[in-house]
Amino acid sequence: MFEFLFNPMYQTWIVQGLILTVEITLFGVLLGLVLGTVLAIGDIYGSKPVKAAISVYAEFFRGSPLFVQLFLAVYTVPAILNVRVDHAVLAFLVFGLNSAGYQKGYMKGAMETIFDEQMQAGLSVGMSKIQTLRHVILPQAYRIVIPSWTNEFCSLTKSTATLSFVGFMDLVGAGRSILINNMQILPVWIVVGVIYFVWITAFSKVMDIVYEKKKIPGVELIMQ
Amino acid sequence: MEARHIYKTYGSKDALKAREGDAKTCIGAKSVIEAAKDVSLQIRKGDIKLIFGPSGSGKSTFLRCMAMLDIPDKGEIYLGDECLTIPGVDLNKARARIGFVFQHIYLFRHLTALGNVELALRQVFKLSKDEARRRALDALTEVKVTDCVNKYPSQMSGGQAQRVGIARAIARNPDIILLDEPTSALDPELTGEVIDTLRDLAREGKTMLIVSHEMPFAREVAEEMIFYDEGTIVETGPPSLFFNAPNTDRAKKFMTRIINRTTREEMNV
Repeated sequence: MFEFLFNPMYQTWIVQGLILTVEITLFGVLLGLVLGTVLAIGDIYGSKPVKAAISVYAEFFRGSPLFVQLFLAVYTVPAILNVRVDHAVLAFLVFGLNSAGYQKGYMKGAMETIFDEQMQAGLSVGMSKIQTLRHVILPQAYRIVIPSWTNEFCSLTKSTATLSFVGFMDLVGAGRSILINNMQILPVWIVVGVIYFVWITAFSKVMDIVYEKKKIPGVELIMQ
Repeated sequence: MEARHIYKTYGSKDALKAREGDAKTCIGAKSVIEAAKDVSLQIRKGDIKLIFGPSGSGKSTFLRCMAMLDIPDKGEIYLGDECLTIPGVDLNKARARIGFVFQHIYLFRHLTALGNVELALRQVFKLSKDEARRRALDALTEVKVTDCVNKYPSQMSGGQAQRVGIARAIARNPDIILLDEPTSALDPELTGEVIDTLRDLAREGKTMLIVSHEMPFAREVAEEMIFYDEGTIVETGPPSLFFNAPNTDRAKKFMTRIINRTTREEMNV
């Protein structure tokens, strides 16, 4: 049933697919974290037009299917603008931008619970707003946001399955290619599923350890 | 340090946020609260002055204006010769010279006591790691919380946390220390240790402007008491004036109320 696993060509596909999936997820989550942080700060601090723009951005990326975003980015937008950009670059960007839409929300939530009083405290000792953000607000917000961030990672990993629909050889893409050759639907998807499962579980466990290590008593999300 | 003709109002939404738990302003129909109406006050090096008055009268907001944590609508704040209320002044630099102690303490929650005191010394004053540590430990020793050096705020009692707050304010040797009801958020049995710390600072000749209702303490250390109500200074004078015969009815009434309360509390203890 699983003899296809011993086929060197299939092995290469699966490994390459896994690498692409891992790469794009990590890149997406990291870009999302950086951009999401900036958006969260803008959303709390910014003027009305800035807030409105950020809201439109977040609603677009959260409200439309990732597949549609991917399709638009890879085919439609370059065609309209009449430019040629490497599809991989565009796909990586879409995952980062998409994740930023979600992570903005997590960061904003975390920052709002600590923002006012801690900003006051930072200013009162002579630090600038930027210094206070950097040394006081963000170190607390990041600690609070780690569990949400782990969720975002899990969800984004599985979203990479859409990549195969715009021509990439991610893990699902590898599975589809193998299927075309051997027609063993169930075994192939079991293998693909197990690989996702192992990778996500392992990574989540690592993040749980990071969360526990970084945890500071008194700095956690207060549910109201 | 001097405040000249300070005006400050704030809207109802801010009022709700700023005075959480303060029934009068929360429920009050007033949409705009006048926290300061033409308030002037001068405090010289080595002075200890105490502002007191009913809650919701605007004294905390006025104190925050002195520290430029709130920007006055009108009027000038001077720190030494420097006017802080003209545009273009580096407020961060000015605030570094003003120690501020908050009613609700506001320690940096992700830092230990030591980290709380060190942060500004490192980031604002750019001291070396060793020098910042030494100064921070000195300040923590001064307020007698050496047993908390490596504790996080959530692991301290309110009294310990507030003393760390005071250490954070004095470590950089500011020109003046502003204290906004430093004991009123604490359990009654913890106020004593904070008052003791303040008494020590007074003995060292620190310049302090304190919003407080700790009357015995006021009588002991304050050179001048300032009765503040409805956004204005109603009466000022030495403690003896207020404890014997204040000139204004409002001050008289308030003193009677607060002294009765204090006596009641002492009898309970």
